[in-house]
Amino acid sequence: MKHRLALGLALLLLLAGCARSSSAPAATPPSSATGAGSAFPLTITDDDGEAVTIPTEPQRIITYAPSMTEILFALGVGDRIVGVAGAFDDYPAEAQGIEEVGGAGDFGVDPNVEKVVALEPDLLLTIAGGDAWKKQLRDLGVPVVTYNATDFDDLLADIGAIGKVVGAPDGAAQVVEGMQATADDVAATAETEGRVSCFFEVFFGPELTTIGPNTFIFDLLERAGCDPVTASAKSDYPQWSVDELVADSPDVYLATPESAKSVAAIARRPGFADIDAVAEGRVVLIDSDLVTRPGPRVVEGLEQLAAALHGSA
Amino acid sequence: MRPGGRRYRRVLIALAVLLVASVALAVAVGAVWIPPATAARLVAWRVGIGSRPDVPHSTEVILFQLRLPRVLLAAVVGLGLGVSGALFQGLFRNPLADPAIIGVSSGAALGAVAVIVLGGSAAFGGLGVSFAAFVGALLTAFLVYRLARIGPTVHVATLLLAGIAVAAVISSAMSLAMSFAGEDVRNIYFWLLGGLGARGWTSLEIVTPLVAVGVLGAAALVPDLNLVSLGEERAAQLGVDVDRFKTAAVALGSLLAGAAVSVSGVIGFVGLMTPHVLRLVVGSDHRRLLPAVMLAGPAFLILADLAARTALAPQELPIGAVTALLGGPFFLYLLRRERRRANALA
Repeated sequence: MKHRLALGLALLLLLAGCARSSSAPAATPPSSATGAGSAFPLTITDDDGEAVTIPTEPQRIITYAPSMTEILFALGVGDRIVGVAGAFDDYPAEAQGIEEVGGAGDFGVDPNVEKVVALEPDLLLTIAGGDAWKKQLRDLGVPVVTYNATDFDDLLADIGAIGKVVGAPDGAAQVVEGMQATADDVAATAETEGRVSCFFEVFFGPELTTIGPNTFIFDLLERAGCDPVTASAKSDYPQWSVDELVADSPDVYLATPESAKSVAAIARRPGFADIDAVAEGRVVLIDSDLVTRPGPRVVEGLEQLAAALHGSA
Repeated sequence: MRPGGRRYRRVLIALAVLLVASVALAVAVGAVWIPPATAARLVAWRVGIGSRPDVPHSTEVILFQLRLPRVLLAAVVGLGLGVSGALFQGLFRNPLADPAIIGVSSGAALGAVAVIVLGGSAAFGGLGVSFAAFVGALLTAFLVYRLARIGPTVHVATLLLAGIAVAAVISSAMSLAMSFAGEDVRNIYFWLLGGLGARGWTSLEIVTPLVAVGVLGAAALVPDLNLVSLGEERAAQLGVDVDRFKTAAVALGSLLAGAAVSVSGVIGFVGLMTPHVLRLVVGSDHRRLLPAVMLAGPAFLILADLAARTALAPQELPIGAVTALLGGPFFLYLLRRERRRANALA
């Protein structure tokens, strides 16, 4: 019980942002005007299925997810962020000085509602989860908008939608264009290099935990040119038996600095030496921020993954 | 021992001052500092006295929609738990009795958990869980009471044993329910450790009348409670209908504890400690004890909640852990002091 809880929490923190619901965002500006000033009031239906009306272009925004912070800075409206969740909002460097509103609730993963209200935000942007505090904030008059990217295409659509919500549609179009171009390059490389099999480690100890086929990371891996051996998983972050891993013996083994101290430490684990990837030295630690945060930097994650998979750094 | 007395009056005045001070402090302290004077002027303005002080709109929202309902809820829950504890301790003639002992708290928690797991949380306008907790508390108390009643007589020892046994069964049922809870584990965790956040005025509107009825009823029982504390036989000889008294005491104690748990989850130690500590200070005459508990219970829970939300801010601590952490050592200190005094007299 305790372990399950701890594991769940760690997953929540590590993977905040890779998600379940797959509803596509729908933006419906009431007027057809294209000028930035005339797009408001704007009513959208977010990924929680909530219809939210944003009366004017948001100027005091709270982001409650590091990915949202990164997206707003990429759209060029980072200076409008008046509050972020916490220490995880560490990119870009400008984000580090912003007031932190997170860390409340029994598990320390909820925003401090008083602090949020005191900042008088006109928009709070976040990802899935936390229905209770979201409802409380809505009742207090804070417009809460949820976008939850389920895969790369969904992320691009979300960035477009967020661009409309914050009144920066042109910046969003540019960001999306750039990300799509990089993803296309990576896909082209994957095509010529041929596909490999891989395993992505989320967690090792107390149990080996990996990713299921409906997660954001799974989609990134496929785009980078590999087929995770965990495609049959029923849940998003399943525990995986080492026996099965050794039997499947993937070509490439991917982990993060949070899940394993070093490549050598992975090789020393009982049974791991028999995995092809370990035997052939194709174990790579990936910067988890680049693959677990559905933000503009996932294309860097894609490039890193592609390099790891095809053995060219 | 007379209910009056100068020392007793001083104790009551001190407790009243403590209560007012804790309300003022709890309203002031948080993510945003609201000076008590500003808070008082805002409240006065809201009820139509004076003009609105020049503060941001957010201050108003924080005061009226977040802090004030939370502080008042802490007060009402503290009142309910404290008076409930005093009733049970008097009834069982056992200073270690509290609402948990006849299974009321675990019954309430099980009711809440059952509704969460079965997915009825949205019933009664989102109050399904509170309602289930309240029903769970009363049903458990009734069950334990029936188990302990043989003919017209309710044996206190049997009541205690039945309570412990039923609480044990309930806690295993709860562990079972939790293994099926999946993502709802977080909600269940709240019910097991208690909390006063994010409740708003609705909870207060529901729980206040229930606690008021319970407290008035308890006050009416006080004379009999004093006599029963001396021993059932003597009380009966003095003309107390002991069985009727016990029924009423269990019903009121359960009503109070059930109402409290239904909005705040299980918060331990308040019902046990508040009456116990005050008994060491004002004596065990319930005419003196009850008013003191009615002032100290709310003050204690308000301060415990203040500590829970500020000690490690922004993270909130489970209030049940705070009440035990604050109360436990103080309780031990008082026990030790009493023992020393007894030794000195002997």
